[in-house]
Amino acid sequence: MAKINDNTRNEVKQTVYDFFTEECEVDASALNENTNIISDIDGDSLMFLELIEIFKKKYNLNIELKTIGKYVVKHPVETIGQLIDMTMLIIEHENNIIAFD
Amino acid sequence: MERVVVTGMNMITSLGLNLSENWENLIAGKSGVKKISLFDASQCQTQIAAELPAAFEELWPNYIKKRSADQMTRVTKACFVCAKEAVQQSGINFDEMDKNRCSVILGVVATANTSSEQNTTPQNLILKSMNNAMSAWISLEYKLQGPNYTVASACASSAYAIGLGYDMIRSGSADVVIVGGADSIVNKEEIEGFNNLYALSTENETPEKASKPFSKNRDGFVIGEGAGVLVLESETSAKARNAKILAELSGYAITSEAYNIMAPMKDGEGIAHTIQQALKNSGTDINEVDYINAHGTSTTLNDRYETMAIKKVFGEQAYKIPISSSKSMIGHTIGAAGAVELIITIQSINNSLLTPTINYDEPDPELDLDYVPNKARKQVVNCALSNSFAFGGHNAVLVIKKYC
Repeated sequence: MAKINDNTRNEVKQTVYDFFTEECEVDASALNENTNIISDIDGDSLMFLELIEIFKKKYNLNIELKTIGKYVVKHPVETIGQLIDMTMLIIEHENNIIAFD
Repeated sequence: MERVVVTGMNMITSLGLNLSENWENLIAGKSGVKKISLFDASQCQTQIAAELPAAFEELWPNYIKKRSADQMTRVTKACFVCAKEAVQQSGINFDEMDKNRCSVILGVVATANTSSEQNTTPQNLILKSMNNAMSAWISLEYKLQGPNYTVASACASSAYAIGLGYDMIRSGSADVVIVGGADSIVNKEEIEGFNNLYALSTENETPEKASKPFSKNRDGFVIGEGAGVLVLESETSAKARNAKILAELSGYAITSEAYNIMAPMKDGEGIAHTIQQALKNSGTDINEVDYINAHGTSTTLNDRYETMAIKKVFGEQAYKIPISSSKSMIGHTIGAAGAVELIITIQSINNSLLTPTINYDEPDPELDLDYVPNKARKQVVNCALSNSFAFGGHNAVLVIKKYC
């Protein structure tokens, strides 16, 4: 479980924005927290998993994909803002995110 | 029943990265066959192929984002680019169509995720390998929600796809079907595999002379890379949007020889049966046929049996029908061949010009039809056949007519 501080959300946000800027070949200025990952910037579901792997390494997280899968069924992640929010929850609670209903 | 028309088409082969470039070179009787550059073929019996022009690597980034490109093989990229330009030519705005009635059916032998592919991550392996990748990417691009699938019948694959697309429109279950196919098997495994079947030409020293259909000294086919995509549309739909109609697909036949995994049925009996069925299904009399774009592989058996089959079906009329093989110039584009060669046939109809069979320098006395030797020929074409025959006994004959 990683320690959260004021900079963590900014770090996560920057990583997410850098990732989508690179992979979707869009300008960072075109992204905001309401950007829909699939319909607005032609993203794909694999990107989501790739980002999780990046954060798992960066914050040494104990989180299983199946746990995330169960969470996402109840809390769909469609926008960049939702993705950042979920990443923050994972960083803070790791496999216990399943308890958040 | 709906009439089925062609409103867009495009091809990419060794002779060009778009339709007009291809046509110019085909009419000029040029060969796209060269020494293989995509891998080190120096230890292979066959060291030649008809590869896409090197400029293809500069073309596809104009159409495909990096992310998607990493999930595609070379042939999937070729098919996607080809489809984009075919759709552009058709003038279709899919946002104005009922996308539930728009489909994609492609003939695909394999996506060629072989040793020639580079930078494949484990995550992309399946996406690059899956046989339905090409039709899926095209469907995704235009958000088409009608049936979207791949048909595999070896060298007749894209001809089969065209036939199936025809059926969908004819029966009223679709307004538009993007059909065609693509292939790229210039890699060590497949060159060696076909060499083991004694199927390929080994004329390595003069690549441009290697593919010589119907000639006495023919010694096998030459593998070609290629993609061909057509937009099939109901006449009603095409007229409603004032589309330019390029030709009418009048009918087709697909049959199985159920004879041998590799060899065609003796004396071309299976081929003849398929041609007869195509004529019958399309309501075409033998006297209507002005031209045949032959399968014409440059193999001993195919060219002999295809000639015998044409004679059997057309009788004395066979001697009056010009027949040519595009494979003499662009090699055998395998899964793409049916589509690429139908497109060439439509060009012949619309330009009143027949593409030649090049390298016809040593006639085979037993093959005595008019093969349009070496030079393009002016001729009005109102009705033509495009033949495709494949390992496994998959035969297909398409009947294409001038639209009027």
